[in-house]
Amino acid sequence: MRRALLLAVLTLFTAFAAGPFLWVATMSVRTTTEISLDHYAWPEKWHWEKFPAAWFNSAYNVYFENSLLVVLGAVAVLTVVGAMAAHCFARYRFRANRLLYFVIFSAIIFPPQITIISLFQILVQYQLYNSLIGLTLVYIAVQLPLTVYILESFFARIPSDLFDAARIDGYSEWQIFWKVSLPIAAPALATTVILNTILLWNEFLYAVVLITDEAKRTLPLGIQRFMGDQLEDVGMIATGLMIAIVPVVLIYAFFSEKLIQGMTAGAVK
Amino acid sequence: MATVSLRSLSKRYPGAENLAVDSVSLEVAHGEFMVLLGPSGCGKSTTLRMIAGLESISSGELAIEGRRVNDVPAKDRDIAMVFQSYALYPHMSVLDNLAFGLRRRGIERGEIERRVREVAATLGLADLLKRKPHALSGGQRQRVALGRAIVRDPKVFLFDEPLSNLDAALRVGMRGELIKLHHRLGATMIYVTHDQVEAMTMGDRICIMHGGKVAQIGAPLEVYRNPADLFVASFLGSPPTNLIPSRFNGEALHVGEATLRLPRSSVQEPIFGIRPEDIRIDGAAPHTEGEILAVEPLGAETILRVRLTGIAADVLVRGPRSVNAKVGERVPLAYDLAAAHLFDPATRKRI
Repeated sequence: MRRALLLAVLTLFTAFAAGPFLWVATMSVRTTTEISLDHYAWPEKWHWEKFPAAWFNSAYNVYFENSLLVVLGAVAVLTVVGAMAAHCFARYRFRANRLLYFVIFSAIIFPPQITIISLFQILVQYQLYNSLIGLTLVYIAVQLPLTVYILESFFARIPSDLFDAARIDGYSEWQIFWKVSLPIAAPALATTVILNTILLWNEFLYAVVLITDEAKRTLPLGIQRFMGDQLEDVGMIATGLMIAIVPVVLIYAFFSEKLIQGMTAGAVK
Repeated sequence: MATVSLRSLSKRYPGAENLAVDSVSLEVAHGEFMVLLGPSGCGKSTTLRMIAGLESISSGELAIEGRRVNDVPAKDRDIAMVFQSYALYPHMSVLDNLAFGLRRRGIERGEIERRVREVAATLGLADLLKRKPHALSGGQRQRVALGRAIVRDPKVFLFDEPLSNLDAALRVGMRGELIKLHHRLGATMIYVTHDQVEAMTMGDRICIMHGGKVAQIGAPLEVYRNPADLFVASFLGSPPTNLIPSRFNGEALHVGEATLRLPRSSVQEPIFGIRPEDIRIDGAAPHTEGEILAVEPLGAETILRVRLTGIAADVLVRGPRSVNAKVGERVPLAYDLAAAHLFDPATRKRI
């Protein structure tokens, strides 16, 4: 009885999570005309040609490349800088340790709508407006607090004896960070990599405000192109979404084992 | 010659009122097994961490092999340390854990391999080299931690309560192995513990610490038989020394009803200290008597708690394997005066 209930709940949840995905997946290989006739029908003819059409004709290859550059760059910097900051906050006792930590963390409380106008002005001043580097820097700044927060709590749980042992074994603080802290924190790092990748891959608001150039648009902006004032090309939107989702799914599949380790972490002992 | 000298070594943590370690002076000879013993918070671990270079030294001087090393970083002091938590690197195999310190020192590959295998063989770890620490038992982890120190072939070994995480049976076994190891390597070792059995059985000398200060330094039996102050007398020994208020009256010392012929001291009312094994139940020439409050048969011996007549003090008496005594019974007691000590209650030192 309890098992049946559990199964029912799991089925419902799976439907809830996977349903929309499947729906978009079916729409991505149907034309807009077919979709408007019957929203939920199974594809009669599989229009695979929509994918190359979106990729080449609607410049998805450019958007994809831009997204890849911005997100990979931001996530790489976030992971390394975030881990270094977290390592210091967790490991070293220094004056204003908690104050600095609080200042970094408190940036989380401001919603993007509040900061975006001043951000826009700053980027214009530094000639970073409408550039991928500018967007990358903004992404790093926006996600750094959360990254440091997640990693700090993990680094703090690494027993300090390990660092002492490594110091006696002859390693410098810098080497200890790379050879002891980072490998041990791998599950937590995977967590932040997935989290940041997904969030930034889907990010729309900063991108739409800070990027104007057609050739510099990221994927979420590209999808917007199919939304006109008068009509929406639902079929192509679905195709574009599928193209956008694939890397996220890959990243998740690659890091998920580590992610689960991170969530169940008592991994240090 | 790997000697370690501590000269008035002190440690004050920022913001703390009291010194964590208060002017500790200690000379550890080459090849000596020195035990730092004391209750938790007595400063013994902090002292060890200062020797290791993991804590900065607030004042005083530390020398290894006669060279002042106050400002030498831990990695250049040529010491190895075994931690209570073992501190094995969880992401590395046993082999890598053992080799980690050697790789840093630019020793060539083949030599590292050879030394790691040799140490692993002596510690019975040869079959475990591929395993990660989480797949090892407590005893095996302890061996790896030990191996990591041995493989480095350091000048000085430091141990920070290395056996306290093991269960009782393993602990006795490892104690024996550590003693053997010390004899085989002949290296200078400094060993921190709160366990007096470890201190008594392993140490060439014991340094007893209390409140950040050295209470007494000496060979185990010497410290046990001639405690320098009330703290050592009450800390060392299980059960500890009996401490009874007493008073000189004329030429004799009065302890409760007992009148003891002891050389008169300058202190009028000293504290009379006597170990439980130095009190006999003796009807032939008793000094005093008392009422038995409790009998604890421990198999090899029997501990009696006796309320002395005429004074509100209990003494513990270590009796033989079987004692024919019941609670409530009155027994005659004789003190072995040669083994007794007097302490000054003001200075707390032995007179």
